Amino acid sequence: MHQENIHNYLRSYFLANDCRILHEKPGLLDVQLTIELDKELMNRPFYWHYLEKTGGTPRPMTLTLITNQTIEEKGEFVHFGAPRLHQIFSSTKKLASSIRLYEDVQTNQQQQYPLHPWLCLNIKISYQCDRKKHRLLSLGLHLVSGAVVDDFHNLLLEKSLTPKIPDYAFTVTPIIKPESGLKRLESVVEMLLTKEDVQWAEEARIRWASDQHLLDQFYEGNTNDQRYEVEKEALRKQYEPVITAEIINGGIFHLVPGIESQPYPT
Amino acid sequence: MRTELQFDQEWTNNFLKQIEEDGPWANWGLFKLAIEAEQHRAIPSFKGLQAPTYLPDLTPHPYQLEAARRVVEEMNGKAILADEVGLGKTIEAGLIIKEYMIRGLVKKVLILVPASLVSQWAIELNTKFYIPAVVQRKSYVWDQCDVVVSSIDTAKREPHRSIVYEQHYDMVIIDEAHRLKNNRTKNYEFVQHLPKKFCLLLTATPVQNRLDEVFNLVSLLKPGHLGSFENFEKDYKGKEKNAEDEERLRTLIQKVMVRNRREDTGMDWPERIVKTVPITFSPEEEDLYRSVEALKKEPISTRSQFSIITLLREICSSREAAYMTLKKMLEKDSLDEVTQTFIHSLIKKIEGVPTNSKAQKALELIQSIEGKVIIFTEYRATQLYLQWFLKEHGITSVPFRGGFKRGKKDWMRELFKNHAKVLIATEAGGEGINLQFCQHVINYDLPWNPMRIEQRIGRIHRLGQEGDVHIYNFATKHTVEEHILTLLYEKIQLFESVIGQLDEILTRLGMRDIEKHISDILLHSESEGEIKIKMDNIKELINYQKEDSDAPRKYS
Repeated sequence: MHQENIHNYLRSYFLANDCRILHEKPGLLDVQLTIELDKELMNRPFYWHYLEKTGGTPRPMTLTLITNQTIEEKGEFVHFGAPRLHQIFSSTKKLASSIRLYEDVQTNQQQQYPLHPWLCLNIKISYQCDRKKHRLLSLGLHLVSGAVVDDFHNLLLEKSLTPKIPDYAFTVTPIIKPESGLKRLESVVEMLLTKEDVQWAEEARIRWASDQHLLDQFYEGNTNDQRYEVEKEALRKQYEPVITAEIINGGIFHLVPGIESQPYPT
Repeated sequence: MRTELQFDQEWTNNFLKQIEEDGPWANWGLFKLAIEAEQHRAIPSFKGLQAPTYLPDLTPHPYQLEAARRVVEEMNGKAILADEVGLGKTIEAGLIIKEYMIRGLVKKVLILVPASLVSQWAIELNTKFYIPAVVQRKSYVWDQCDVVVSSIDTAKREPHRSIVYEQHYDMVIIDEAHRLKNNRTKNYEFVQHLPKKFCLLLTATPVQNRLDEVFNLVSLLKPGHLGSFENFEKDYKGKEKNAEDEERLRTLIQKVMVRNRREDTGMDWPERIVKTVPITFSPEEEDLYRSVEALKKEPISTRSQFSIITLLREICSSREAAYMTLKKMLEKDSLDEVTQTFIHSLIKKIEGVPTNSKAQKALELIQSIEGKVIIFTEYRATQLYLQWFLKEHGITSVPFRGGFKRGKKDWMRELFKNHAKVLIATEAGGEGINLQFCQHVINYDLPWNPMRIEQRIGRIHRLGQEGDVHIYNFATKHTVEEHILTLLYEKIQLFESVIGQLDEILTRLGMRDIEKHISDILLHSESEGEIKIKMDNIKELINYQKEDSDAPRKYS
């Protein structure tokens, strides 16, 4: 992540949280935090507790974040490894867990138009043994036809979306309920995984078996030894292949029909 | 075999609830940012190191990155890091911890280090790696902090011990792990019971030639890697070593050990400039020394009461050091009259020594040096004396001992760095602090164990040292000091060469206890000539092995 990207990310984050930017230039961002974000980021529960008890005037802090190290102003240097950035990443995820939006279409005539419901899940798949890697998925399920579309988030980025239903739009009632929609997407993920190369997991199991074999030799029959149990369990934790699907976020999107006709080949 | 998928149920449950309650819903801007953040954080490949991109202010050396990569990709996160002193094992360990934390494989880390290094580890992990390591000072730290640095002596004691075992650490790091070479110690047993999903053992002392030690260390890391104890004994011990067995063992050890040497790093290291500073006794000092030396000719009943070699070495250091030993002897009840009289006569001679020729020389040298100076001595009494003596001449110095509490050590280091010209360290103080801002070392008296010399020099001849390192070896003429220095250390080029190699050689020669060896020579030789011949013998043996081992010596 480049330093300019970090700067832009931070600006978007604070603006999306209704913070006022006091001063900005390339590589520097001076932000007045809101009460909510002060509580979220500044880790001073005693101050807020005290304030609420005494009824004083809240004074949320300002934050000066520097993304260009050559700037000689006082502030916090933020780079890709900075704990502050990762705190903000986690905060973003927490604050943007689920959503409901409607597609906004500019119509000349006061003509009513239908919107179809979609269930969207953005998923982070983790493949873990003694190593780990990720794969990101963005899946959309057409709650009318059951069609599934991949790379759904990128489709959404091209659209104009709004949290309130537009004046001339009306929504089509879903045939698939959200609950079973979630189940369907879960099985789509499972189906996608079966098509993947499983060599990594097989190799991990070979490494595991080989270390387990050494361990057995070392204790030669003394498998009642507590240390043997400890080591055996440690080996399982080290090597056992596990795949987890974590949902980054997701939601219901009401969209102008058309996408579902180019469904993802399932 | 299929790998089970675990699907995020927590999110789906919350989501269904929100649908039921019609919100609250996030805003689109943040929603997009959350995905953007994950796109940056997701790691698409098992291979390669992510840590460097998270650490823009750290520039690891290529050999350190390679070490971290090997540990993760080839050793599955269980390794002995055995770089030579001063090559930055901590950096390698930090990179590895960071890599696992970034990838989400490690959350809880237990770091066990000597008490003197606890705060240094915590500071380095926090400042260089942004790893929130906390020093274990209160017992709640075990529960509440994910990355804890503690001394092994604290951790192994109740009530800590039980709490530690409950923690389910993902990673265990042990610094100065050579202290765990004996499998019958409490420390060993404590570590053996710790679950070690990932584990790093750090040591600067190469152990690969001492079979039982290497067996114990490797078995702690990866039990069975060298077979069971019985099989190991059968295969490698006792019988004549053959090249094939040794090669097999070496290959096995290489699989779990990273060992970089200065010469393999392909980097320009600061030079070591070694100078011998000869000292001439004053007549009074000379007389005192010879009186003790003459004891060698006394009948065994008298002679055996004294540790002659110790006294001789002490006299070369300071009269105070010798005095302390004699005083202790007088406190013993069993002394016969002859011995008592002799001790009293020696004390009288000590009192008659007006100056310390060595201290005088040290003073001149320190005054001629612009930068900071570390003086190493083996004796507390000498340390105190030197501090007083330098102060008399307007030079501020800071004492340093291994026994200092960790806070005091850090404080003394800071004092030395910012306010004092000289640091006077006793032997035990040699381990555990880094003093690379200093370029001058005076070996005021020489330890007889060459490994300790390397530890002394290693404190300053390490990563971060920008200038050349000057080493001054003090040796009083015509004494035991001269024997050890000019007859042995200089001839085997101890100060210039890298010690790891020497340790291997000494082990191979069965002379690990070189101190005792030399002591015997000095004590039982009839003449200077005999001493010289015997010392030459050792030298020849060592040099012969050195040439012999130069070629196939690469382990890592």
